[in-house]
Amino acid sequence: MDLNRPAFPLQSQNNAAAPRNRKALAATALAAALLLSACGGGAAPQGAEQAAAADPASGANASGAVNICGVKDASGIYKGTAEAFTKANGKVTAKYTEIGATTDEARTQIVQRLEGKSTECDLFITDVIWTSEFASQGWLLDQTKLVEANKDRLIPSTVETTKYQDKYWGSPFFTNAGLIYYQKDKVAKPESWQQLYAEAAKAPGNGYVYQGKQYEGLTVNFLEMLYSAGGEVLDDQGDVKIDSKETRDVLNFMSDGLKNGSADRAVLTYNEDPARLAYESGDFGYQRNWPHVYRLLNATPLASSFAVAPLPAWEGGKASGVLGGWNLAISAHSTNQAGAVAFIDYATSPEWQKHVAMDYSQAPVNEAAYSDAAVLQKMPFATELLASVKGAKPRPISPVYPQISQAIYKNVYAVLSGTASTEDAVQKMAEEITTAKASF
Amino acid sequence: MATKTLQPGRAAPAKTSGRDRAERRLAFRMTAPSLVIMALVAAVPIGYAIWLSLNQYSVRTAGLSRFVGLENYINALASQEWWAAFGQTFLFAGLSVSLELVLGTAMALLLNLAFKGRAVLRTVVLLPYAIITVVSAITWQTMFQPNMGLVTNVLSTLGLPGGDVVWLGEHGYAMAVIVMADVWKTTPFAALIILAGLQVISAETYEAAELDGASKWQTFVNITLPLLRPAIVLAAIFRTMDALRVFDLPFVLTRGANGTESMSMLAYTQLRENRLVGEGSALSILTFLTVMVVSVIYVRFAGGNIRDVAKEEQ
Repeated sequence: MDLNRPAFPLQSQNNAAAPRNRKALAATALAAALLLSACGGGAAPQGAEQAAAADPASGANASGAVNICGVKDASGIYKGTAEAFTKANGKVTAKYTEIGATTDEARTQIVQRLEGKSTECDLFITDVIWTSEFASQGWLLDQTKLVEANKDRLIPSTVETTKYQDKYWGSPFFTNAGLIYYQKDKVAKPESWQQLYAEAAKAPGNGYVYQGKQYEGLTVNFLEMLYSAGGEVLDDQGDVKIDSKETRDVLNFMSDGLKNGSADRAVLTYNEDPARLAYESGDFGYQRNWPHVYRLLNATPLASSFAVAPLPAWEGGKASGVLGGWNLAISAHSTNQAGAVAFIDYATSPEWQKHVAMDYSQAPVNEAAYSDAAVLQKMPFATELLASVKGAKPRPISPVYPQISQAIYKNVYAVLSGTASTEDAVQKMAEEITTAKASF
Repeated sequence: MATKTLQPGRAAPAKTSGRDRAERRLAFRMTAPSLVIMALVAAVPIGYAIWLSLNQYSVRTAGLSRFVGLENYINALASQEWWAAFGQTFLFAGLSVSLELVLGTAMALLLNLAFKGRAVLRTVVLLPYAIITVVSAITWQTMFQPNMGLVTNVLSTLGLPGGDVVWLGEHGYAMAVIVMADVWKTTPFAALIILAGLQVISAETYEAAELDGASKWQTFVNITLPLLRPAIVLAAIFRTMDALRVFDLPFVLTRGANGTESMSMLAYTQLRENRLVGEGSALSILTFLTVMVVSVIYVRFAGGNIRDVAKEEQ
């Protein structure tokens, strides 16, 4: 929506005829605006409808076509799963439609379709942080019964990412958790954040790289430490708990790390890929990144010298992390809900979850897959990954999550870049999150 | 608006006779289709955005909205974020447009010289302008990457200051990169407009100056610059309007960090990321009004002279 593109060139060129025509133009514009405002008010549907629920038994008798929509299929997992499912099922045909090159674009496209009640897509591949926003808008089918039926084969932390107001609005497809990559010839295995930072400051080539740009990734990097230090953003009642000693400790710790050389100031400009590229130069000791980096690092000269570890614990606390990953959400406007249920049954099955790891290097949502011999061969760090996934927690669950995350990453960034004191940033963060939660 | 000063030589309409009126009606009927199209293309979206900006749309409950009048505007104007973005956008526009005009004039003067392959060069200089902004932003980001970027590497190899600076991670430096990226991309555009202005200055004026013994510098200051003014003003209007709406450069390079968040970025964040449709629309309209006020000022104080200057000098 480019609402703010003015039309000045037209005005300055046509001014010979302007005085008289302007009145007419104004009249037309006014009429159009009135017309629009008249229907604008009525166009919005009134109140949330009671969300329909998915029936777990319906998958067995499904037939027809299922269209799955989501972000560009970089690893091939979405198309691959759709093809394998179609072949295995025999009655239902699934196809994958890419509707956005990046996560942000895909979200915009999905929101547009959901707002317009489009029936184009039966299933959406949704980022774990979208659940509450989409569910609160009544856009998704309630999957509580389906999730309950499949619960014994899904890792509990991944199921939690689909929860909003005591109901489940999606099924986890594959998950994601941060890992530490380290140069085992230069630095020690990370046991605690304090030890990692101390080790990183010891020599110029030992430094730690993470994602410190002002964006969602910084929220994740910060929360990973905050959770391990025992802090939280919102408690179970949804009250704001960010104004805490833990938040201050973590902020001071991160900002000291930039000053004493544990982390290069360049991390303030890094998102995932620049962080990986910097690490690949061999000038660093530790890197925080996602599992997909494993395969990429293996193709570099660092292949023989790097190792993988789960995120470390806060000194005196326990290891934690932040869950990423993607869920399968059924559109409330799907015309083939049974087909969508059948697809979910297949995609989350223990058998297919092994392929998720082996064929596409993604983290399965089925615990048994991590100890499967064939998986371990393709994904030697599966044990570390499982530890990270099981210890990880979801990001704050709220329909205004984007605002909460902005409040976090903007204020954390201000402390790291040295433009705000820890105290001011913590107070501002708490204030902004409280305001966001009070959004209409 | 400055419409009056822009219509020299147009006689005041005589007393309106019946025939005049008929003709005027005919004229109106003939222009009506284009007026309707203009209304649909320009006025309707703006009108709709204004309507959206007077409401709030719930982010918690589907389909819930309420009319709030000017509340979204009041909140925006009371917020620190808006004024920070406002100042930063103007700083960016001021710096980049001044540099573009100076460099654009220099470039136009060079391109106006007679030399072999001039036609080809005139096309080639437009190349940066043809590159998609997001793509060029990513290129600039790579060049200023600490440790491995082209610029930072060259600077530190030569022992020049700035080699060890994290350009996109520091206040001031980040703005400098964004200004550079914009100047690099759009100077050719300014140059082309100014070149067009140069070409309409008649050779006789220069010959006369030469006969009178004017130096090159005197010729430039007393003839070229005044006659070029309309073209420079035009380039300034176009560039300022674009610069005040800047979005893609800071979005890619810094995500608005380190004092580079623009008015458009703020509107985008509210509208798209936070789905605060009313609040975001109010910010869009405020951006729109800011740009409109600035261009009206331009037309009034600088643009109004476009014809006058040309006439005086003839």
